Amino acid sequence: MAWDPEKDVIEVVRGPQKAGGAGGLYRAFGETLRGLKTTFGQLRMGVDTIQYPEQKIPVYPRFRGRHQLHRFEDSGLEKCVGCSLCAAACPADCIRVVAAENTPEHRVSAGERYAAVYEINLSRCIFCGYCEIACPFDAITMGHEYELSDANRSDLIFTKEMLLAEPIERTPLRAEGE
Amino acid sequence: MPRPTEKLVSLTIDGNEVQAPAGMMLADAALKYGDVEIPVFCYDAKIGPPVGACRMCLVEVEGIPKLQAGCSVAVTDGMVVHTDTPTVKAAQEAVLEFILINHPLDCPVCDKGGECPLQDNAFGWGGGLSRFIEPKRHFEKPLALSPLIAIDRERCILCYRCVRYSQEVAEDDQLVLEERGADTFVTTFDGHPYVAPFSGNIVELCPVGALTSRPYRFRARPWDIEQAGSVCTLCPAQCNVSFSVRDERVLRVLGRDHEGVDDGWLCDKGRFAYQAIHVDQRITEPLMRDGGELRPVTWELAIETAAKLLSHAGAKTGALVGGETTNEEGLLLTHLVREALGSNDIDSRPGGALELELLRALNAPTLQASVPDLQYAHAVLLLDCEPVDDAPILDLRLRKGVRHHGVKLLIASSRPSALDERAAHSARFAPGCGEAFAAALGAALAGKPSASLAQAAGADADDVAALAAQLREAGEEVVILWGERLTAGPRRNEGARALLNLADELGLDGRDGGGLLEIPSGTNSRGLRELGVLPNASIGLGDAPTVGRDSQQIGEALAAGDLSALILLHSDPLLDQPSSELWQRALGKASTVIAHAAFLTPAVLEHANIVFPAESYAEKEGTVVHPDSRVQRLRRSIARQGETRAEWALLAELAALLGNDPKALTCSMVSARIFDQVPFYNGLSLDLLGGVGIRWSERQAAASFPGAPSAPFTLDPPPAASSPNGLLRLGSFRSIWASPEVEASPALAFLHPRQRVEISPADAERLGISNGEIVTVASNGDSVNGLAQIRANAPVGTVFLQSSIPQQSAALLGGPMVEVKRA
Repeated sequence: MAWDPEKDVIEVVRGPQKAGGAGGLYRAFGETLRGLKTTFGQLRMGVDTIQYPEQKIPVYPRFRGRHQLHRFEDSGLEKCVGCSLCAAACPADCIRVVAAENTPEHRVSAGERYAAVYEINLSRCIFCGYCEIACPFDAITMGHEYELSDANRSDLIFTKEMLLAEPIERTPLRAEGE
Repeated sequence: MPRPTEKLVSLTIDGNEVQAPAGMMLADAALKYGDVEIPVFCYDAKIGPPVGACRMCLVEVEGIPKLQAGCSVAVTDGMVVHTDTPTVKAAQEAVLEFILINHPLDCPVCDKGGECPLQDNAFGWGGGLSRFIEPKRHFEKPLALSPLIAIDRERCILCYRCVRYSQEVAEDDQLVLEERGADTFVTTFDGHPYVAPFSGNIVELCPVGALTSRPYRFRARPWDIEQAGSVCTLCPAQCNVSFSVRDERVLRVLGRDHEGVDDGWLCDKGRFAYQAIHVDQRITEPLMRDGGELRPVTWELAIETAAKLLSHAGAKTGALVGGETTNEEGLLLTHLVREALGSNDIDSRPGGALELELLRALNAPTLQASVPDLQYAHAVLLLDCEPVDDAPILDLRLRKGVRHHGVKLLIASSRPSALDERAAHSARFAPGCGEAFAAALGAALAGKPSASLAQAAGADADDVAALAAQLREAGEEVVILWGERLTAGPRRNEGARALLNLADELGLDGRDGGGLLEIPSGTNSRGLRELGVLPNASIGLGDAPTVGRDSQQIGEALAAGDLSALILLHSDPLLDQPSSELWQRALGKASTVIAHAAFLTPAVLEHANIVFPAESYAEKEGTVVHPDSRVQRLRRSIARQGETRAEWALLAELAALLGNDPKALTCSMVSARIFDQVPFYNGLSLDLLGGVGIRWSERQAAASFPGAPSAPFTLDPPPAASSPNGLLRLGSFRSIWASPEVEASPALAFLHPRQRVEISPADAERLGISNGEIVTVASNGDSVNGLAQIRANAPVGTVFLQSSIPQQSAALLGGPMVEVKRA
């Protein structure tokens, strides 16, 4: 079908061509005053600024911060068996796992294998939490820590020891109903 | 039995009409022609006929009231098959639920997880829920089935694959199922470790994680690795492999099914010797001898010094080329030796040169049999070779031919063969008398008197007559699988002539499905010969302008001082050449020895001035030629380890420093030059070779193969085999495990051979030797110790020792007669 230019004509509605009169005065000052009303109205509301880093906003329980690896509380063995499912699930490809075999003399985890190397490159991580979902042993969870900036990229590669350790500075957790 | 002719039948699978060859199993036909996957566990066409053990493949066939196992029903004309009806679905879910009753579901710790047919089938066809709440069966796990394989019996779903493989494919009869019903488990018959040359294949066959590789245990998950297809160059069989690579390390080797080469199997050497790529013993930086010791130096210094030493020696340089050399390296080395140094003393054949005319006749494209011919021929004659040691994968092919295609296997060898019990007839002759035996057999086939020739070969005249009768009756398609040692001894030319006469007598020239198939001593021996890496041939087996010294003469010339420098390209004369005494003298006298080696083998360790690190086969690029004339491509799978550099580039650089630049900028440039310069390779290209390679003898360009004299030849009467009077004849063999790669691989080190003395029961009794005791074998003042091994079908009067091992090698003994006594 041939293109009909008539259909594409856009009608432009313009304002009055000439300013002046009471309408003109209102347009000049009235709208400005209406805006200033909002501005001055906010003065009554008080200050909402958080004095970060002295003050922190508490996070929700399901907040996805820096990962943590876990141990069994009773035996102290690592929960992670080095199955690499987190690495498979990771869309940012930031997890590297190299497994090794437990021996009776050197038992690290509860299963046959353990993670000899477990590294997360947090400069790449997008904190999607797929690793936590993929983990068949609840060995990795997303913690609450979000203060991860560093001066050096390579310092953002977290090793197994760093992930197993309790985070030094804990982020406040939002209480029920808060 | 000739190849089966394919007759097509048409059948309906899920409403689509498809054509499939009659006799094909439904599961195969549905996948290949109908694009319908019928899930299977126990069935794999390459193990042999189906057993229908797992019931996973149930389908509905119209006209049959009950569900049928798709793996065991052959397609017939007019068959109507349904694979997705509610009945079939219910059956599949029930079977999977049943199979999973005892499966531990420890997928996160299981090495198979991610590439597991049980996972895939459960995901694709399972119901997802189990009603089974009772305890599962438990076994001790993981157990070592052998030093190479771990077995986890809890995961086993009793599909019988491994047991059938052991009993019907490898025929080592070691794996069995013990107990019955739910108590059944896989084990070796009396609990001894499953050690066999092809044991690793069961790891790849297992559809669950019950059998896993111990060297690969917990190394990586399938999503951690990349597969890189290449060719294994550890033996002439050149199996197609796929390297599993993680972080630039080879972690595992898998087969890359190629019907024309390996039939989907690998030997344990090919499967596990990859470990030698990543060991500390491997040379990964240039070494130079300094104060009697090899010390690491920079590449620049090593190359400059090598160039200086070579230019000093000039035409007084010899070169020995080992079998692992690629065509490209071979071409650049010939350029270096012939053009840049002006020497013609280059050889890739151990033991001496063969007349060029005979070499052409033996390699003539019309006379070449292919590997699949071994499986479909009427008869296969093994002549002076032992497949399991020389080209292991052919052993499985021959067993398959005998078992499934009625191939008549005939064996003529000096050493007892592992295939003897499958053979229609086997004959023995004295070591080194293959030539006389071939002549005797040729005479017997022609109806001429052969008794005296048989006697000269140290063989039984009746054996010769029986073999001849079998060969004549068998049929037209006969393959002669012959070992290079037939044409390697002092009477090598006569050996070649006798073999060609034999082929002529059987009319093998130009016959489809029959011909000659050589097992050479080195992996790429065929390619190197065709490139003219020989003293008496130029590229494309053309006439050499000047004939140089062969390997034997290079040794003699070095010892005499006529040559001063020696280049060893992947070759160690103390291991590869027949006489180590000569080469000890030669290497001691040589002023310059430049070696390209991956390991410090004896000659390199003691005599090399400069050692360049050799690339491993996973690091190499280039082409190699299979003994059946298939040109195959090696692809680089990992980064070169350590300081290792590309060897073709090194050879090109050396030639350039010596003032004759071959102008090779990339390896594929050299490949293209080869395809251009070798007349019968014309038209090939790396793209054409692709992943499966091409047999050049089947192409048009094969017509430009240089002409050769045709049989029959008149033969010199062979000298009589030495008769054992109190002493024993000495025979030597190279074990499949005799290689530096096996020695360096931690997992295979337990297989690296120590000297063993194979002796017949009669001789052992006469000498008072019992199995497993240490005996001394002595000749002319030299002696070698080894463990006595009494072999039932060893010929009386002969003793066999291993060569190509670093210590106590048979090459230390002069022979031909030796004295054996208890140590």
